[in-house]
Amino acid sequence: MRSRYPAQGSALEYYLWLFTRLSGVLMLFIGAFGIVYANLAGGRTLMDMPTQYRWAFFPIYWHVQNSDIPDVFPAWSNSFWQVYGMVFLFVAAVHGFNGLRIVVEDYVHRPFLLIFAKGLIFVLFLFTLIASAVIVFELFL
Amino acid sequence: MFQGRHVGYLEGLRYKGRENMLAWALHRITGLGILFFVGTHVIAAFFLNAIGDTISTALTVLYESTLTQIFVYFCVLYHALNGLRLIVEDFWPPLLRYHRELLWFQWLVFLPIFGLPAFLMLTSFLSGGAH
Repeated sequence: MRSRYPAQGSALEYYLWLFTRLSGVLMLFIGAFGIVYANLAGGRTLMDMPTQYRWAFFPIYWHVQNSDIPDVFPAWSNSFWQVYGMVFLFVAAVHGFNGLRIVVEDYVHRPFLLIFAKGLIFVLFLFTLIASAVIVFELFL
Repeated sequence: MFQGRHVGYLEGLRYKGRENMLAWALHRITGLGILFFVGTHVIAAFFLNAIGDTISTALTVLYESTLTQIFVYFCVLYHALNGLRLIVEDFWPPLLRYHRELLWFQWLVFLPIFGLPAFLMLTSFLSGGAH
């Protein structure tokens, strides 16, 4: 597989190219930190494998609440994990929706359709961020 | 995006890129798979908690099924490993000399880490254990 090098002459494209790589590594560290913390904080004997995965992918207390962990509240539920989860989601959303844009650019050639598709991707990106902010910070309507 | 020459979609599939093309195609498919899963997951959680709509029940049944979970596990693991190899090759281009070995090494790491949990999930699913 040839690596994907950025289109020449576009600074934004270069920064997104760089961001995709750096955020890929960063997300691995975010997941690893969450899972190490959870096990050190007493989750080692309480969490089965699916729970470990769920906490690694999204460290919010209600993500593991069905897994019979007693007293999730003091160590597992505070604003640190809310901000941590939201940062994780933001990085993942930029990485993912930018990837979707690149795939769409490869297959859609008509200019008007391309603008429409990119607009739709941006709207989906914003909706995902707003929806996740609502459920992470519990800003229910 | 390449300029000038447009290759049709089916014509592109006939391109014989062997293991490189497989890695490229799987990276795209798994990336879109993760985006689809996380997207439905966020939207389902939003409709469940913030609005209390029944859309979320249907979406939850879809993404909590064993087959979806195995697919998502495949997507996440493959995308992470292939992405790591890609980053290593992009930032240390001399390693491209060992590109083919790296690809095979990647499959060597991927197959047991994916295969064992997938096998356990599938046997548990087929024997009527966890749904």
